[in-house]
Amino acid sequence: MDAAEVEFLAEKELVTIIPNFSLDKIYLIGGDLGPFNPGLPVEVPLWLAINLKQRQKCRLIPPEWMDVEKLEKIRDHERKEETFTPMPSPYYMELTKLLLNHASDNIPKADEIRTLIKDVWDTRIAKLRVSADSFVRQQEAHAKLDNLTLMEINTSGAFLTQALNHMYKLRTNLQPSESIQSQDF
Amino acid sequence: MTEELDLTGQDSDAGSEEVVLTPAELIERLEQAWMNEKFAPDLLESKSEIVECVMEQLDHMEENLRRAKKGDLKVSIHRMEMERIRYVLSSYLRCRLMKIEKFFPHILEKEKTPHEGELSSLSPEELVFAKQYMANTETYLRNVALKHMPPNLQTVDLLRSVPKPDLDSYVFLRVKERQENILVEPETDEQR
Repeated sequence: MDAAEVEFLAEKELVTIIPNFSLDKIYLIGGDLGPFNPGLPVEVPLWLAINLKQRQKCRLIPPEWMDVEKLEKIRDHERKEETFTPMPSPYYMELTKLLLNHASDNIPKADEIRTLIKDVWDTRIAKLRVSADSFVRQQEAHAKLDNLTLMEINTSGAFLTQALNHMYKLRTNLQPSESIQSQDF
Repeated sequence: MTEELDLTGQDSDAGSEEVVLTPAELIERLEQAWMNEKFAPDLLESKSEIVECVMEQLDHMEENLRRAKKGDLKVSIHRMEMERIRYVLSSYLRCRLMKIEKFFPHILEKEKTPHEGELSSLSPEELVFAKQYMANTETYLRNVALKHMPPNLQTVDLLRSVPKPDLDSYVFLRVKERQENILVEPETDEQR
């Protein structure tokens, strides 16, 4: 899966917007949205929110976890713990990136938030790297990790699974048995 | 306007049972099938009911949009959503086709043996595709190389020469509900 596809999934998350137009309820295949009234907050999926913002039809409200003090607490908690702590949203990375890129005027202290999220991401990826390293070294068959988000899994996943596959193949071919034949047509 | 769909589920012992799904649940299932197909090393069972229902929903919506008045914000929002659903559907089908092309002899071999309560992993169209792909590959190999070989080397066993899907490859899985007492067996020396 590439990062773009993970972002595609993240775009289904609901965010609050304040439209400047009015529209009655729309019945999408994925669910009902609206009605839209100027000045009244309404929840829509992220893909629609970003699109409306680009057309200057709404104002975005940052999710309640996207706040400097809260993120500082999360970052410190993550740095203290050895395992992964639960994140405010399973798509925190994608939400932050999209909202800060398209709606930084609607988000207070956008740059600080960007730095804080990057710190959290770096800490978690470092933990993941250490964990993957020990997984491969000790040749475990399985590992359990809580609270990982899809983007983190995706970033390191392809490498990890391929490395483990190679190790497995090397391990299981150490003792050649009679039933294994070498290539022959 | 949300309608409920009748999705015919297949049960191995009881025959078909109907499962009623809302369109939102249907799309959820499509996305689940898409993610599972992407992360699994071999071809999973064919979800043709989901594919058909999604196609129906898209056609239905397309018709409604054609009849609606133009240039409306609603129309563009509906179209955006349809494009998203279409992307997931095409990506799902593309992923399956890629696996069919990669593992075609093994998949066709499995289709030949009778099912013991197992569902087919190919939809009828995919089966036709796989058979034609196999026939084309054989013709190609024959015309390009095999007919120029000495007579006793003119056959190629595709089952043995095409790599099998690696069912021992590592995968990520996400546990949806809390489970107790799951034992993952460590590999033993006898395992190949």
